[in-house]
Amino acid sequence: MSDHHPDHMHATHTHDGKPIQNDDRPPIKAETLETAVRELLIEKGVISAEEIHRAIEMMDEKGTELGARIVARAWVDDDFKQRLLSEGDAAVREFGVDMRPTELCVIENTDDVHNMVVCTLCSCYPRAILGIPPAWYKRRDYRARAVREPRSILTEFGTSIPEDKQVRVHDSNADLRYLVLPQRPAGTEDWSEEQLAELVSRDSMIGVADIRGPGE
Amino acid sequence: MRGPQDLGGLPAGPVDPAVHEHVPTHWEKRIDAMMMLLFDPKRRLARVDESRRMQEALGEDYHKYPYYERWLQAISWLMLEKGVFSQEELDEKQREVRARLEAERRGM
Repeated sequence: MSDHHPDHMHATHTHDGKPIQNDDRPPIKAETLETAVRELLIEKGVISAEEIHRAIEMMDEKGTELGARIVARAWVDDDFKQRLLSEGDAAVREFGVDMRPTELCVIENTDDVHNMVVCTLCSCYPRAILGIPPAWYKRRDYRARAVREPRSILTEFGTSIPEDKQVRVHDSNADLRYLVLPQRPAGTEDWSEEQLAELVSRDSMIGVADIRGPGE
Repeated sequence: MRGPQDLGGLPAGPVDPAVHEHVPTHWEKRIDAMMMLLFDPKRRLARVDESRRMQEALGEDYHKYPYYERWLQAISWLMLEKGVFSQEELDEKQREVRARLEAERRGM
């Protein structure tokens, strides 16, 4: 293995929390390694430049709408909801989502329990449904504290959970991904599935936020 | 023994969801794309736990690396380990690329 001492401790990246320009270039050493590895993989016929381009395009197109549609369906269709909670992988396949090689476990928020997801060991996340995880999800601060003081973290997200409601934290791993099924807000009884999907935020599906209904 | 990746329960600072959002740069997306392609059913050249093993091998440097540079290091080590390319090939390619990038940056 080559030496791995980073020669760049300046502020270009997520771990210091500063926002950066999207077209910022990385330190030259890192850009050199990335370009070299990519070109070698292409020369060896392992991947093609077109596949990389297409993968990035798909990344750019994938937001969290898919997750929102799945949640809205579960709110209006109880059979689907039961399938989603008992066998997440199979249920989301109805939306064209292939979770393999990981499994999906969907956990339901209720009047008594609030669920929250973390990956303390790295940044495992239901990417097939929610896309690339937000930067805070990958940060040391979130990973370290979510399992010890979830309520403090929730407060930092502006989410307050009543003391008598249990907060359950789910630690993801390489083979198992979690998705929170948030509670359907009051006042949406006559809303359509499409309208409901508009309400569902990414953060509510990670469990760091609740969903507010109309007039809340 | 607690590895560098094993953060659960350790003291840490506040999370500011407004500040700690970050849209990946194009360069970061290229690394992400490479990793996903190596993971995919067509190639199966890497698995999540293998990538993690490589990142955790960084030891204390784990925390000095920006997120995607950790991924990049993992990809590079995994491909070396699996014999997809050799250290000599990588060194040679890096020399060539470095010269090209330096010229490009000077011209910027």
